[in-house]
Amino acid sequence: MQIPDEMRNILYANYFGYVCTSDRFDQPHLTPVFFVYDENSHKLFFITNERSKKIKNLSENPNVSITIDIRDPVNPFNNEGVMAQGTANITDRAPIYFLSEETLQLYYDIYLEFKSKYQKVIDNKPMGENDVIIQINIEKMVYWKGPHFKSLKFKKDSQVIS
Amino acid sequence: MDKSEKKEMKWIYEEIVGRIPPFSLISYKYSILLQLFLLLVIGIFLGFVFGIKQISMLYGSLAILVAVSWSLLILQLAPTLRKFRAPLSKDENDLLERYKDILFNRNHYEAVPGLVIFIPFMFYLFYQGTDLLEMWLGKEPNIILILFVSLLIWDICYRMGLGVWTSILALWRSIRLKRLAEKRTELEHTPYTELRYLQKLDINNVFFGIISLLLLPIFKTDELLFTVILVFMFFVTITSLISAYIISKVPWLPPDIYDLVNESSFAYIGTSLGGITHVTPVVYVFDGQKIYFNTSKEAKKLKIMQQNNKVAFLIDKRDMSNIYENKAAMFTGEVKIYGLMDIPLRLFSMLGALKLFMKKYPEYTKKYSTSELPKAWQLTPIISRILVEVKPVKIIYWRGAKQISVPV
Repeated sequence: MQIPDEMRNILYANYFGYVCTSDRFDQPHLTPVFFVYDENSHKLFFITNERSKKIKNLSENPNVSITIDIRDPVNPFNNEGVMAQGTANITDRAPIYFLSEETLQLYYDIYLEFKSKYQKVIDNKPMGENDVIIQINIEKMVYWKGPHFKSLKFKKDSQVIS
Repeated sequence: MDKSEKKEMKWIYEEIVGRIPPFSLISYKYSILLQLFLLLVIGIFLGFVFGIKQISMLYGSLAILVAVSWSLLILQLAPTLRKFRAPLSKDENDLLERYKDILFNRNHYEAVPGLVIFIPFMFYLFYQGTDLLEMWLGKEPNIILILFVSLLIWDICYRMGLGVWTSILALWRSIRLKRLAEKRTELEHTPYTELRYLQKLDINNVFFGIISLLLLPIFKTDELLFTVILVFMFFVTITSLISAYIISKVPWLPPDIYDLVNESSFAYIGTSLGGITHVTPVVYVFDGQKIYFNTSKEAKKLKIMQQNNKVAFLIDKRDMSNIYENKAAMFTGEVKIYGLMDIPLRLFSMLGALKLFMKKYPEYTKKYSTSELPKAWQLTPIISRILVEVKPVKIIYWRGAKQISVPV
C-alpha cells in the first residue's frame, strides 16, 4: 500500500523513533528506539529487551504510539515529523527453536532490515538473547511540517480511510 | 553506624520527659502536648488558688500556647530527617549525617543555647530589680508560684534555644550543601524530595520565629526583654529564610542530567488517555530548577493532559556517529498546566519562563509572532500558547546502552 511520499520519506530517512506506551494506570512511558518501516505490510518494527518497561506496559496495554521527526533548532517551519498510533504485537518470546516458521522468517527479514539500516552502529552484532521484535500495526498517522498537519486513518487491512 | 547507634533522634528534654509516666506511655508528640496541657491546667489552678490577676493568667496561657506551637514545629524535625534518603553523593551524604549528628548529639549540645538564655534571664528577673515578677504574680508571691513560673520560663527558654540552634545549623548545612553541590560529578546529587524536606523544615523555622511575636505583650513593660524577643524573632526568621533560599538554589538534578536538560533543544512529551498514547516533540526551557514546555491551545496533547496529567517527558542527545555517547533522560510524573487563573500567584514564574523561551529560541519567537500564522501557532502567551510545567516523580537516565534509575 502507498502512504503519501512525505510520510514515507520521514519513515525511511530517520534513525530514531520515540515510542510511547502506558501502563494500566495510564502512566505514559517514553523511550528512544531504533526502528524499521516495512512498506509492504505497512508496519513498524523495533527491537527491545523483553524485560524492559515497554514490554511490561505493552502486555498490560497494547496501545502504542511512535514519533519519528526532523528537528530544526533554528527554524520551526522546517520541523517535520510523523506520529503513528496503533497496537503492538510482541512476537513469540519462546526460545528460537520453538518459534513458528512464520515468526522465524519475520525475525530473519526484520533483522536483515535492521542490519542494513543500522550497519554503522550495530555491525554484525546478533540479536540479544532477551531481545524481542515488536510489531506496530498502524491505525492512524499524523504528519506535520511547520504549522501544517495531515492525518490519516487506516482500516484493519491497512486501507487508507481518511 | 549500625542500627542501634542510629538511635531515635531525641533531645534531652524530650528524652527525660519521655521516661516519666504517663508521658512515657503515649507517643512522643502527644506526650509533649499532654505535658503542656497539664501545665496549662496547673497554671490556671494555681492562679485561682493564689488569686492571680486574670491578665497574668492570660500571659501564662499565652506562653504555653507559644511553647505548644514551637513544639509542634520543632517536633517535625526528627521524623522528617528520619525518612530522609541518603543523597547520591558521598560528600553530601557525609554532610547531612554530620548535620543530623550535631542536631541530635548524644552530648545534647542543643540544651546549651537554652541554658545560655535561661540563666541570665532568671538572674535578670530576680536580681536586677525588674518589676516584671511583681507585675505577673503580685507582691511577695508564693514559692510554688515562683517555681511554676520558673518552669514555664525554662520551657520557653529551652525552645528559644532550640530555635536558635536549629536555625544556625540549618544555615550552615544549606551553605555547605550548596558548595558541595557545585563540585558534583556525573550522577551525584541529593534528590528533589530530600531538598524539599530541608526547605520545609526551614520554612517551619520561619514560622517558629514569627510565633515569638506572641510573647511581646508579656514583656511589654520591660524594654530590654522586649528588644531581646524582637532580636530573636528577626534572627530566627531571617536565618531560616536565607537557608530556605539557598536550598532552593541547590540543583536537584545530578550534573549529567542537568547538563543534558540545559543543553538540549528538543524534548518529547508522551501522554495517555484511556490507554491510547500520544507522543510529539516540544520545545522546552529549564531554569535550573523547573522544566517548562510550550504547547498550542489547539494541541491534542493539551486536551489529553487536561484529563490525565500523567506524562512521560524525554530529553535526549542523538548522534548516529557514536551511539555509545548518546544520552537520554526520561521524566515520568505529572504536569501543571498554567492558565489565566495562575496569573495572580505565578505571574513571575510565567514571565520568567517566557523570557527563557525567547532567549533559547529567538528565531522561534520571531517566527511564531507573525500574524500570517494560524491562530494556534501565534506566540501570544497564555492566550494561544500554553505553558506547562513538568513535575517528575521518577527519572530514568540512559548513557549509551546503560540504563540508570535516578531518585527524584
